[in-house]
Amino acid sequence: MTRNRKITLAAVAIALYLIGVPWLCAGRNYYLGVVTTASGLAVICAGVWLIFYIGRINIGQGAFALIGGYAAAIAVTKWGLSFWIAMPFAGLASMLVGMLIGLPLLRLKGVYFSMITLSLTETARLAAQSLKAVTNGPNGILNIPLPGELSIFGVTVIPDFATLNKHRALFYLGAVLLVVTYAVIHRVVNSRLGWLFRSLQQNEDLASSFGVNVPMLRVIAFAICTFFAGVGGAFFVVMQQSIYPATFAVQDSTYFLLYCFIGGLGFVFGPLVGTFILYMGFEVLQGFKEYQPLLYALLMIGVMLWLPNGLLSIRLPKFLPPKTPSRPASGGDI
Amino acid sequence: MAIMEVVKLTKRFGGLAAVNNVSFDVHEGEILSVIGPNGAGKSTLFKLISSFLPATSGKVVFRGEDITSQKPHVVARKGVIRTFQETTIFRDMTVLDNVVVAHHLHSKASLIGFFLGTRVARDDEAGFRRSAEEIIDFLGIGQMRDEAAKNLPHGHLRALGMAMGMAAAPKILLLDEPFAGMNAEETESALGMVRGIRGRGITVLLVEHDMPAVMKVSDRIVVLNFGEMIAEGAPSEIQENEAVIEAYLGREDEELGI
Amino acid sequence: MGQVLMNGIYSGVQYSLIALGLTLIFSLMNVMNFAHGQLYVLGGFVTYYVYGIVGLPFAVALFAAAATLAAVGVLFDVLLFRRVLARSARDESTMLLASGSALLLDSLFIIFFGEKHRGVPPVAGGVLRIGQGIFLPYGRALIIALSVILIAAFILFMTYTRWGRGLRAMAQDRDAARLMGVNVARYSMLGWAIAALLAGLAGAMLVSVSGVNSGLGTWISIKAFIMVMIGGAGAIPGAIIGGLVLGMLESLGAHFMSGSQYLAIFVALIVFLAIRPRGLLGRQ
Repeated sequence: MTRNRKITLAAVAIALYLIGVPWLCAGRNYYLGVVTTASGLAVICAGVWLIFYIGRINIGQGAFALIGGYAAAIAVTKWGLSFWIAMPFAGLASMLVGMLIGLPLLRLKGVYFSMITLSLTETARLAAQSLKAVTNGPNGILNIPLPGELSIFGVTVIPDFATLNKHRALFYLGAVLLVVTYAVIHRVVNSRLGWLFRSLQQNEDLASSFGVNVPMLRVIAFAICTFFAGVGGAFFVVMQQSIYPATFAVQDSTYFLLYCFIGGLGFVFGPLVGTFILYMGFEVLQGFKEYQPLLYALLMIGVMLWLPNGLLSIRLPKFLPPKTPSRPASGGDI
Repeated sequence: MAIMEVVKLTKRFGGLAAVNNVSFDVHEGEILSVIGPNGAGKSTLFKLISSFLPATSGKVVFRGEDITSQKPHVVARKGVIRTFQETTIFRDMTVLDNVVVAHHLHSKASLIGFFLGTRVARDDEAGFRRSAEEIIDFLGIGQMRDEAAKNLPHGHLRALGMAMGMAAAPKILLLDEPFAGMNAEETESALGMVRGIRGRGITVLLVEHDMPAVMKVSDRIVVLNFGEMIAEGAPSEIQENEAVIEAYLGREDEELGI
Repeated sequence: MGQVLMNGIYSGVQYSLIALGLTLIFSLMNVMNFAHGQLYVLGGFVTYYVYGIVGLPFAVALFAAAATLAAVGVLFDVLLFRRVLARSARDESTMLLASGSALLLDSLFIIFFGEKHRGVPPVAGGVLRIGQGIFLPYGRALIIALSVILIAAFILFMTYTRWGRGLRAMAQDRDAARLMGVNVARYSMLGWAIAALLAGLAGAMLVSVSGVNSGLGTWISIKAFIMVMIGGAGAIPGAIIGGLVLGMLESLGAHFMSGSQYLAIFVALIVFLAIRPRGLLGRQ
């Protein structure tokens, strides 16, 4: 497919999404809300996917979303900042924490990174609960206003959401974030940066043998990942107009892994597809809502048992090749 | 002139010295081979020189600069490039792409530049592609350029490994058992490649098992036994060195290439 | 202060039991069992039923928990991990499988046991007074004693029995062990059984003091990771030391900075790993 055709196709898909979804959901705000939520989740999930792409597992994306969410909520309610400043600020705050953790830990074996990221989700929740002065503790931060007007040199770029149909405005905000996120990820993966990331996933020693600074690249990938988490978290906060310590929990972090896995790990739009299929699928199966964790767990185990190299092994036998040297013959000295 | 000096290099694992007090020079533009019976510490020495393993003591000096135990990518940036013993490649990329990626060191563009696809980054890319094509033609795998690397036969994989090493424009190229597991014909063509690489002014240090091949290709040879250096000299001297013959005693004579 | 130290020891010895199982599996199979805390919770629920509901003696409940968990450990190996390990040697695969198993057990707990916190009648009444102002309820004393006995038994088992030596050989070098005639499949089953059993017994004992609830699993896993990272992954003495250190840190933290002690522990852990990436006793 030529470059121009790809661009045309992407433009058509985006236009269909922007026009089609609100049209289909006209008068059914609940369903529009479901799509909006899915788009926010897909933004956060994109980061998890990028970490898979360099051959690591981030089980703490929920924590980074939570950090971003609180950063945005505090910036808006306590400091009176505009949401349009608070959202990138949330991304940066989350990225900062990500880099502080990533710098020491991404040098180590992959399992350490995963253990720490999982621990961080719970730590973030406890911190949100106990740091009452900042986070308002278990009561959360409520009554977060909708995004206000964004104007540049007196020209209104985005009108105050209060003057618009709130559901639609949020849908479009989510859609824009979605498009930007995946455009960035797509660009990263298809630029030489993506080649370098792929070289980390396939063979870190080889990459460093021709001068690739492997630990630094990992940190860069993680910085991008956590930035998306922060922005996604800020989006959830303004969508729900509230945030609690439990807004993102360990379970959510695990779900993100599954979303990526279902969509395909070697495919840039995999996390997007996975998130939409699984999240919206469960909205359809309303009656099974209480069994959602159980079904997700079975799905995850099933995929690992029967497609241990990911759903992608059906599409392309590409990702996660059985790499013998990655598992040393001995695990430890006891 | 010595391009690299190995000075009293030592590596201990627990109480055991895998490499003990080894010193030698590598001269600019030569092919120097390190040989020794199994378990003599060749592999460890190789990893020490390429900084994939920290040394216990001693040092490696490259062009007057101490590079001991620096990070592998830093050492690579100084022009010390290694290849791998295993057929270590990016399995899913094509032959050409493998070599293009290995040009990373010469990239003038920043990471942001990669992302934005700036002019510098695009120029880099085009330059790398030309250079990669030239290198794979030089090593005789040009006709395989669009093949996925994992589908290459053994001998060609080794050539790809060398091509990736050359892509980094090394001052000194460290080859880890470049002839291992090859038949006579493949070995002959690999010997040609090694000579060709040296012909381009790149110093070659190789660690190898295959004695006849080493005798043919090397300017000088360093012999290790039980982690210690027992001899150093031209191939003809090594063949007659008593300590070397003793070290290989009990082994088949043909392994020595005599 | 004495009381703070006593509390630290009380938590520490139990934590050591949990970390031992986690580190055993890691050293044998290079699998980090993200569902380890859930095994602990399962041990707690078994005890709750056998001792708290049916009313059998506490010792019987401990045996029931041990047996159940050993069986679950074997099932984990045979049904899940062995299959995935046989096909994909990447750490990623087993970590994902373990995360899925953790989610599965968590959701089963919610379905079968609900969200309520479950407690049982105390096993032993009365309080032991040690010196000035240090109190140790008999129930806790019993747990400390049992934990120390179990840790000692585990070390003796690993050091002096044929099975223990086989496990150690396998942890050192799986392939060499196989060549030496160690039945690797059977020993991984044994390893899983012991690891699950230790976690289950820790859960069983704790239920008699603090009770158990469905949501506890992940939190216990996280504590176990912290201990393993402090002590050094794959080292048995490291697990014990890691457990004691975390127990002590928690107890001190609760005393001096109640509420945010975990944030402090977490930050300290990151700093610690930056300085000593392999933990206190981890192998180079």
